[in-house]
Amino acid sequence: MNTSRFQIIKPGDLPDYRNQEGGIADSSWPEFMLHDAIANEYWHELFDRFSEYQFALLDTEANRMAAMGNSLPFHWEADVSELPEGGWDWVFVKAVEDHRNAIKPNIQSAIQIAIHPDYQNQGLSSKMVQAMRAIGASKGFRHLVAPVRPNQKSKYPLISIDDYITWTSEEGLPFDAWLRVHARAGAKIIKPCHEAMIIRGTRAEWEAWTGLKFPQSGQYFIPGALNPMEMNIEKDKGVYVEPNVWMEHRIEE
Amino acid sequence: MHKDRFQVITPAHSDYRDLVRGLTKEVWPEFMLHDQVAHELWHELLDRFAEYQLALFDNENRRVAGMANSFPLKWENSLENLPEDGWDWAFHEAVNNHRLGAIPNVHCAIQIVLRAEYQSQGLSAPMLEAVRAVTKSHGLQALIIPIRPSEKHKYPLTSLDHYITWKTEKNLPLDAWLRVHVHAGARIIKVCHRSKVIRGTRSEWEKWTGLQFPQSGTYIIDRALNPMEMNIEKDEGVYIEPNVWVAHKIE
Repeated sequence: MNTSRFQIIKPGDLPDYRNQEGGIADSSWPEFMLHDAIANEYWHELFDRFSEYQFALLDTEANRMAAMGNSLPFHWEADVSELPEGGWDWVFVKAVEDHRNAIKPNIQSAIQIAIHPDYQNQGLSSKMVQAMRAIGASKGFRHLVAPVRPNQKSKYPLISIDDYITWTSEEGLPFDAWLRVHARAGAKIIKPCHEAMIIRGTRAEWEAWTGLKFPQSGQYFIPGALNPMEMNIEKDKGVYVEPNVWMEHRIEE
Repeated sequence: MHKDRFQVITPAHSDYRDLVRGLTKEVWPEFMLHDQVAHELWHELLDRFAEYQLALFDNENRRVAGMANSFPLKWENSLENLPEDGWDWAFHEAVNNHRLGAIPNVHCAIQIVLRAEYQSQGLSAPMLEAVRAVTKSHGLQALIIPIRPSEKHKYPLTSLDHYITWKTEKNLPLDAWLRVHVHAGARIIKVCHRSKVIRGTRSEWEKWTGLQFPQSGTYIIDRALNPMEMNIEKDEGVYIEPNVWVAHKIE
C-alpha cells in the first residue's frame, strides 16, 4: 500500500463525514444487517459521546473515504474470558450506560471496521486494526476487544460458529479472512458470542430486505447471514441471531 | 417468440452437434455435471433417441438459444406411481426399454434449458411446445418430466414437498419453471426425492464449489436444491437432488 495516499482522519476533518460513512456501511453490509435495533437506536452515540474513538481512512487522491473504523470505551473488571454472549449489542449499550453514569472506562471495544468494496484486498484492513489499537494506547488501555463478524461464515451457515472458529489455514491461522486479519495483528480468539446482534422484522420487512418469499414458518437460508433465520408466520416475525467471535488485542504501552 | 428469428432444429441438421456443444456446461453449476447416470448414458440420446432431441436456433445470432432432450419410455402403471429416483431412473429405463425392444407409450423429457442470455424472454413456453409436438408426432399418450424447480435453490432449508405447494396470488406455483408447465396445462404429480445422486470426494467437491469442507456435516451448496452431506471419514460428499414429476396430457 502507498501509505502517503491513505490518511487517517477524524469525524471533525470532513464536513460530510457521517454521510460518507453511511455510504460505506450501505455498500459493505447486506440490507438486513442495517436493521439491528441497538445499532439504529445508539449509532449517533458514537459521535455524541465517543467521537475520539471514530476514524476513517481517506483516499487523498480521490478525496473520498476508503474505510471506516468505529470503537468505544467501556468499563470491565472481570477477565476478558467472561465477556458476555450479547457481544456487539451488549457492548454498545454497556459503553453508553457507563458514559451516562460517569463510570471511568478501562477497555476499548471495536464496533466496526468496514472497507469500501472498491478498496478491498489492498491491505487496508490491517492498517485499520493498527489505527484502532493506537487510539486505545493513547487512552492508556491495555486491551482492545472486538466482537468480530467472521465474514466467510456466510458461506457455511449450517456449521456452528464454535466449530467454524477452529478451522485453520495451512499456516495455522484462522480460516476466516477477518479473523485472520486480527490474528495476524496479534489478536487471540477468546470465544464465540452467540447473540452478538438480534435482527427482528415482519415477514414483509424480511421480504423487502432479502428479495425472498416466506410462505411458511421455518428456517431460511439468507444470503450474507452467518446462520439461518427463523420465520414465524403466526407471529408475523422473522428473527435472525447473529453470532460473532470475541477477540482480544493486547495493547503495548 | 419472433417466429422467424427462432427455429427448431434437430440432430438431422448437419451442424447440430457443434451447435449444442458446451451448452450443458454453460447452464448448470459444475457439481450438476457429475451425476453418474448422466455420465454413463448421455451418449445414448444421440445413439438411440436422436429424433427426440431438439434445439432452438437463433437465426439472428447464428447460435443455439436452448436445448431439449427427451426419450420414449414404457410405463403401464399409473403416473401416480412414478418412482422416487425420477431422472436417473427414467434414463436407465428408456435405454433398457430400447435395448429390449419394448414398445414405448409415454414421452419423458430430462432437460429443457435456455442459455442465460435467452432467459426471461418468453422462450421457455415455445421450447416446451416444441417438446410436446414431439410427443404428439410419435403418438405417445403423455409427456412426463422430472422437473428441477428453477428457484428452489434459494430455499435449500425448505422441503420440496412444502415448496411445491407455494402459490402466487393467481394460485399458480410460486416457482417460475413449475409455473410455465402448469400454465401450459401440466399437472404436478408428486416429488421424486432421489431424482439424481451426485457423489464426490472432499477434494472434488472443493473443486466443484470453491468451498472448503474441513469437517463432516451438512453444507449449503450454491445452486443446489437441498444441502449436501459431507463425510470426512469416508472422504465422500453426497448430494441428493429432488425433482418434481409433472405430466402433460397430449390431445
